[in-house]
Amino acid sequence: MADRLFAGALLIVAIAYTYIAFAILKAPFQYDPLGPESWPQILGCVAIPCILYVLWRPDVASFDLEMPTWARVGALFVLLMAYAWVFQPLGFILSTLIFCFLLSLMLGAKPLKAGLFGIVTGVAGYFVCTRLLELNLPAGKLFVGLL
Amino acid sequence: MDAVFSGLASGFATALDPFNLMLVLVGCFAGTLIGALPGIGPINGVAILLPIAYGLGFKPESAIILLAGIYYGAEYGGRISSILLNVPGDAGAVMTTLDGNPMARKGEAGKALSLSAVASFVGGTFAVILMTLFGPLLAAYAVTFSPSDYVALMVFAFASLASLVGSNPVKTLLGAVIGLMLASIGIDANTGVARYTFGIPDILAGIDFLVVVIGLFGMAELIHLVEQQARGTLKTLEIDKSFVTMADLARTKWTILRSSCIGFFIGILPGTGASVASAVAYGTEKRVQNNPKSFGEGDIRGLAAPEAANNAAAGGAMVPMLTLGIPGSGTTAILLGALLLFNVTPGPLMFQQRPEIAWGLIASMYIGNIALLVINLPLVGLFARLLTIPQQYLTPLIAVLAFIGVYSIVSNPHDLYMITLLGLFGWIMRKLGFSLAPVILGFVLGSLFENNLRRALSISAGDWTILLQSWNSIVLYVLTAIVVIVPIWYGRRVAARNARSEDESPKAPA
Repeated sequence: MADRLFAGALLIVAIAYTYIAFAILKAPFQYDPLGPESWPQILGCVAIPCILYVLWRPDVASFDLEMPTWARVGALFVLLMAYAWVFQPLGFILSTLIFCFLLSLMLGAKPLKAGLFGIVTGVAGYFVCTRLLELNLPAGKLFVGLL
Repeated sequence: MDAVFSGLASGFATALDPFNLMLVLVGCFAGTLIGALPGIGPINGVAILLPIAYGLGFKPESAIILLAGIYYGAEYGGRISSILLNVPGDAGAVMTTLDGNPMARKGEAGKALSLSAVASFVGGTFAVILMTLFGPLLAAYAVTFSPSDYVALMVFAFASLASLVGSNPVKTLLGAVIGLMLASIGIDANTGVARYTFGIPDILAGIDFLVVVIGLFGMAELIHLVEQQARGTLKTLEIDKSFVTMADLARTKWTILRSSCIGFFIGILPGTGASVASAVAYGTEKRVQNNPKSFGEGDIRGLAAPEAANNAAAGGAMVPMLTLGIPGSGTTAILLGALLLFNVTPGPLMFQQRPEIAWGLIASMYIGNIALLVINLPLVGLFARLLTIPQQYLTPLIAVLAFIGVYSIVSNPHDLYMITLLGLFGWIMRKLGFSLAPVILGFVLGSLFENNLRRALSISAGDWTILLQSWNSIVLYVLTAIVVIVPIWYGRRVAARNARSEDESPKAPA
């Protein structure tokens, strides 16, 4: 079932991809026998039969995950998206501190240790990366004047 | 031959430059450390550290020496978690657990670790020596390849990928096609037409290679680690005082040599890396020895074979990458992408045009292998202690490193969402039995494949028969047919033999 769902979604994407390749992509003028549309056409024609085969003979029935595991993966995804969202506005130190604290807490660390871990990673990570390795990291609006 | 020696001499001049020498050692050390961490293999380590190495602004040869050091260092380190924890870092280390872990449980952990270090060293060094001898020859021959020959080579690469990697050939092929499709996004360089960009400015230049690599091999791995979290805590076995003896080495010397050969040649095949090599080497050794009872219960030969093979495969996989521009494994696909980031195009001309990179890398592998042996014998206890780093701190660090890496290159927050989404996509694919290495191979080879096809047809003014007009391409298509048909035929034969009753005399294979 899981295999079929994924393959079904892929099939829709692949059909759209192939349709665009055949109907929309076109160079205004070209000298070569193969234009920008030929390669995607070939790929689409290979992908669709492969997907149909998976639909016809799926070999993974389900994800075999229990509810708590689903919840943990879901929470991780939300945390990562939130981390990406606040990375620039809050700056590396603060966003990393919060992210590390919450994730290690979720994975079973004690609150005090998780907090310490967050602070060390955020602060030490920032200074090691920006000062020592000269990488570019966001300082964040709050800290622009300070750092 | 003279060219080999003078090239090697210039390579050592590059590799022994104090800064590069330090990078070899740092790379090997970091690689062993990453490989030793349970659940993280060479490909994840190289993927996560690639953007940081790129962001540091090193010269291309220095960066590639560092990344290659991490790659084969992690192949060494992978055995530590396999032996002591029974948790392989990646698919290439799975075979090591079969005999390595039982040895450790029998109280021979020290012996298992030291023997596998020696086997790894022999396998790795063997591969580098063969690479030194054959690499330039292959490159000199590959210079004569025409675009249509390259098309044939790609077809061969993807066919061997589909037929040898992963459990389901169709899924492997589909994975590679997904990679090729991802690579087709962005402005077509020949005509300036935007393909599949839907007006989003961030992907006009195509999806960034670093984003795909970090997404599929950093974030997907992270999600996988979190998913596995609740399945019991890991328990490390103690390292005892036992050590490898001369008698052990004498007993395994042919095993190690045989497996090194197997590993190297399987590594050369495009797309098939350490995982296939170690499995084949283990299987062969079991058949050669005729006493499979002790295999799986802590036989030293069963430990030495896959370890020698996976390190030899790591070296072998570099050969097609350096000489043809076609990676021999998922990890070398990432290294190839790394070279492209530095505007270096790996291929037959690299030995002449950028000798400091090609030869510098080869020379650094000689140094690296010796360094790894030295690091691994006395310091194995230190690495073993790392196995006990609590996962709840390690996991967030992977995410932080991935974010730092992606952000420090282009400073575009849009990429941070992209890696998270690609990570989710990669995790789902993994859960469904797709392997991710074909995706990255497809992504890296996409434009090379397309451009050579278009060039070939431009030469022939649209006549498709040009693809079959040179001996090189015909030989490659024959090899493609062999690589597709033999595993199917062999699988049928094994299935047929299992179906037949055992006392019946086996018929000659049809």
